[in-house]
Amino acid sequence: MQTNTKILAQEFEYLAPKTLDEALSLLDNYKDKSARILAGGTDLLVKMKTIDLKTDYLINIKNIPELNFIDTADGLKIGAAVPLSHIERIEKVQERYPALYEGIKSMAAIAVRNMGTIAGNICNASPAADTVPPLIAYGAEVKLVSKRGERTVSVEDFITGVGKTVIRADELITQVNIPEMNKNSGSAFSKKGRVKADIAKINLAVYLEREDNICKDCKIVLGSVAVKAIRAKEAEGLLKGQTVSASLIDKITKKASEEIKPIDDIRSSVEYRTEIARVIVEDAVKIAWERAGGEL
Amino acid sequence: MKKVEIEFTINGKKTKLFVKSNTLLINVIRNELYLTGDKYGCGIGECGACTVLINGEPVLSCLTLAADVDGKEITTIEGLAEGDKLHPMQKAFLENAAVQCGFCTPGMILTATALLKENPNPTEDEIKDYMRGNICRCTGYIQIVKAIESCAEGGKSEPI
Amino acid sequence: MEKQQFEFIGKRFDIKNIGKVTGKEIYSCDVNIPGQLYAVVLRSPFPHAEIKKVDYTEAEKMGAICIGPDDVPDTLYNERIVSIPDKTYRDRTVLPKDKVRHVGEAVAACAAETEEKAFTALKKIKIEWGKKWEPLINLEKAMEANAPQIYDHVYLGEEKVDIKNNIACERSVDVGDIEEGFKEADKIVERTFSTQRVYHMQMETKSAVCVPEADGGITVWTTSQGIHNVRILLGNIFNIPLHKVNVKRITLGGSFGSSIQMNSITPICVALAFKAKRPVKLVTTREEDLYDHSKYPLKTVLKIGAKKDGTLTAAHCRVQVEIGGHNIQAYPYLGCVAGWFASLYKYKNLKYEGTAIYTNKVPSCAMQGYGNPQINFAVESLMDILAEKLDMDPVELRLKNFVGKGDEFWGQGPTVRSIIRSCGVEEMLIEGAKLAGWKGRIPPSKKTGDIKKGIGVARGFHTSGTGGPNPGEVIDYSGATIKINEDGSVDVITALMDHGGGTWDAGAKVVAEVLKVPFEKVGIYNEVDTRTTVFDVNTHATRGVYCGCGAIKYVAEKVKEILLNYAATLFKDLPENLELTCNKELGQAIIYPREIPQNYMTVGEIAEHAHITSWGTISCTATLRQKNCPPCFITHFVEVEVNTKTGEISVPRAVILGDSGTIINPGLWEGQIIGAFGRGLGFSLLEETKYNLNNGKLECNGMITDYKIPTTLDMPKADNITVRSAHTYEPTGPFGAKGIGEAALSSVGSAVANAIYNAIGIRFYELPITPEKVLKALKAREAKNKERRG
Repeated sequence: MQTNTKILAQEFEYLAPKTLDEALSLLDNYKDKSARILAGGTDLLVKMKTIDLKTDYLINIKNIPELNFIDTADGLKIGAAVPLSHIERIEKVQERYPALYEGIKSMAAIAVRNMGTIAGNICNASPAADTVPPLIAYGAEVKLVSKRGERTVSVEDFITGVGKTVIRADELITQVNIPEMNKNSGSAFSKKGRVKADIAKINLAVYLEREDNICKDCKIVLGSVAVKAIRAKEAEGLLKGQTVSASLIDKITKKASEEIKPIDDIRSSVEYRTEIARVIVEDAVKIAWERAGGEL
Repeated sequence: MKKVEIEFTINGKKTKLFVKSNTLLINVIRNELYLTGDKYGCGIGECGACTVLINGEPVLSCLTLAADVDGKEITTIEGLAEGDKLHPMQKAFLENAAVQCGFCTPGMILTATALLKENPNPTEDEIKDYMRGNICRCTGYIQIVKAIESCAEGGKSEPI
Repeated sequence: MEKQQFEFIGKRFDIKNIGKVTGKEIYSCDVNIPGQLYAVVLRSPFPHAEIKKVDYTEAEKMGAICIGPDDVPDTLYNERIVSIPDKTYRDRTVLPKDKVRHVGEAVAACAAETEEKAFTALKKIKIEWGKKWEPLINLEKAMEANAPQIYDHVYLGEEKVDIKNNIACERSVDVGDIEEGFKEADKIVERTFSTQRVYHMQMETKSAVCVPEADGGITVWTTSQGIHNVRILLGNIFNIPLHKVNVKRITLGGSFGSSIQMNSITPICVALAFKAKRPVKLVTTREEDLYDHSKYPLKTVLKIGAKKDGTLTAAHCRVQVEIGGHNIQAYPYLGCVAGWFASLYKYKNLKYEGTAIYTNKVPSCAMQGYGNPQINFAVESLMDILAEKLDMDPVELRLKNFVGKGDEFWGQGPTVRSIIRSCGVEEMLIEGAKLAGWKGRIPPSKKTGDIKKGIGVARGFHTSGTGGPNPGEVIDYSGATIKINEDGSVDVITALMDHGGGTWDAGAKVVAEVLKVPFEKVGIYNEVDTRTTVFDVNTHATRGVYCGCGAIKYVAEKVKEILLNYAATLFKDLPENLELTCNKELGQAIIYPREIPQNYMTVGEIAEHAHITSWGTISCTATLRQKNCPPCFITHFVEVEVNTKTGEISVPRAVILGDSGTIINPGLWEGQIIGAFGRGLGFSLLEETKYNLNNGKLECNGMITDYKIPTTLDMPKADNITVRSAHTYEPTGPFGAKGIGEAALSSVGSAVANAIYNAIGIRFYELPITPEKVLKALKAREAKNKERRG
């Protein structure tokens, strides 16, 4: 199939609703047709150009004020249309949600982050998505709204496979909600690519909650090593409730590397990803522990 | 396919156009407004050659629908100089041998001006990180970094 | 010779790039002709398949103008005509008539009012395919007895040549007797090296715009390093006399060798323009470009012998290169690779054997170095291995054996031999070693920690052009028309191309220096074309300054003679009694009788006088063939850091020394060195266009999402790159200048590979050296060590 990345060959009707209600009506009207949401376009337009993704309607949600907000009062609530670069500039994100900050900073380039959105990154559901491991690690949720009502789904449950989510044809993500962080918690993000501005060979977010020198709760989330970001639940099980030590971390990294299902692809190999998983889990756990106020 | 009416400002000039829904901003800028400083490098957001400023922020025109710029302010490389007076960043690129084939240059300069607006005195690492999405095959980047440094607050203004 | 004091040479100013920073510079893809149609190309999805029929009736119904194999001439040509016809292999037509030989090969094309319309129409073109063959991706498979034949025969000059086992061409060179040489050796080392296919990733994709003229001629703007060759080819292919074919010189968005040849889309654009009887514009997509040209890969088996005091005694070099579906320049490539190999060191006895093999892949063509970085990787790695075997400092081994001043040198291949007259190799190795802290380096076995540092050295060179005592297999000459305008400013009209390295800046500076006209008053503009310029072969082979500007200097000297002769009549004196200098205050060149400066006339006044009296224009047109191709040298000392837990390699520091004789523009010279360093990092650590063995497609699908090249963050800190110039002067070069472009790349990868060995004690024989390969090797060694201990 031949491509032409100079143009957008597909024909579609472009709609730019000005209110959330307008957008929901459009989605409702077209739920049996093909309609797609345009936020940043950095995934959608690329897919249209490279794999001939078609759509009859394109609904631009970036001009909707209800989707353009950031609320830092209780945890973090980010509107679906907020560009990634605006999120990375929020002080609370840098200080309290460093895994998300680092995950966003690791993406592509500034221009792409000026266009792309966190909701878009989630909905595109690439196994290599960089915001997803941090969001899962923080227990984030997406709010889905339609004419029928609204529901919240954890990011972890929202993505089901490569490019697959539980979103329904008439639904729109309006915001991403991240719970407030416990003050004795720490988090970290890690990513390996061929160059810095790259799709991940492997990426990772770790969240730890500390009580004295015991890890009370933890999440270890790896991306690019399965059809979607996965939690290394057995590794987490080894860590939860235990005194954190270098030898325990060593056990955890080994377990985590056994839980992932990487593939050979153009970016890297099964062998490499499996080896590297151990290294980055170790580094991220140590950093997260330190950020949680812990010592080794 | 219906045409969409858009009204926007480009390089300070108010412009009204009818565009198809699937028309890309890069093609409007290049083929209808004849501002060919906006270059096609890859079409998929990987090289930065098509960078323009929308409301002051660097954005990739190859992945932007023309319809989406309604009500916005666009700056292309042609809009940087004030008449005959070059923008300091343009001068710095010339003086620091930061221009070879020149194809990446418009995108580089625009991104660099946005960097200094946001961070007037960046470290070398910060410059490199901000510019990492603008690919250059000719220069190896070092002279570009030096050009940007020379424009920064307290930057040395003589060439290397 | 002493270094002269120059007015303009060696100064940093360059205002010639002002168009590039203001968006006003016009590249081929920016040319717009009223009434133009937009063209798109239909490309083969198969690697090796018979074309039975191309049916574009549906596309034509949509209003598109279409061309297929029957709409283009039968002319069999080679798109690169730098070599003389007798030594040029020809295997292609504008569109393939019988079968496609690689995925992405152009099969048909169409043009319409808009690009969108053309693309929609394109998708309606139906191709009926016949027999399909399994793709030949590896050169071993391609040479097997029962492998499908990609060609039955091709032409070499006018001679028909049968192709067997898909071997496109071969070359061999013998000097002395290697058997004897190896007998004399105390130590012999032999290894196999391999370098990969790399994509040029020049920022501007290949483009062409063609206007069909009323009298059957054409005007063409296209991405090209040499417009005259494009003109000759188009005239030949379409059977148009050359005076009716006009190719415009236009700024090029990078090339690195990919437009030495006429690009494949250029004649396609012309064919469409003829059929449409309207201007046609064809700008290729990036994904098409990835399928259009690639760097030559190289597999090298290299054996070198030396006495225990380090004197080399013999070298045997066998290379194989798979060249893809078309032979663009494999024959001269094999000759040059022999030259790059042979001219690095005094082996005393050598044997070289080279084979080029057709495969069903993207056609390979020159990429900055034309085989030099590839073979340099083999030689410079093996020299390090040899040094270790001899327990000798690698720098010492190189100092003992390098081909340098006074030595015979044949960098461009065995038929072009000359004596080296300027050489900074010794100075650079010694100075570089000092700057890089070479003496303090530790052997790999003593390295500790997870992050291991290493330092490596490698040296290289490239010829400045392809000139030699006698005209040879390669056409190499340039020319210019230089005229002094009625106000004393100067026009330099030349077809010489500048891909960003500063060739035009150098040309203007050379003219300014000869005629003493201020640099700002010397114009090298783009409104030139094949009609208004004499021949220039190409800006390639690092010949822009030495040959191109050498010719410009030659013409400028002739203009100076005419100027002085005419001025002499005004001063009623002899020309040899006149002084020509630059007067900065007046902003003019002035002439005065020697010792009587107050009686000066400005060149502007003199030119005006010639004009008012209808004497004529002070001008000259001439061409020059340089009779040398002096080596410009480079030396790299590179420091790497290997993360032994992740296999990642970073390059924190480099000391780079270059020998270009006189440096005409220091800023741009340094830019060449640093830019090449970046490209070398990509070559050694990162880049490769991989193929799917089953369907012959690029694994990245033509998308640079999965073809990464170095970014800002992959370069060392600015202060950690030290660039120095040797102190040499090339007596045969314009004001003592040689080139630098391709030399700058030649030894980067080699130095990186040597540094990695110094860091972790593991040598890599295959590029690129990725984290995956490094980690795998480290783990394998760890396992082996465990086994030994256990």
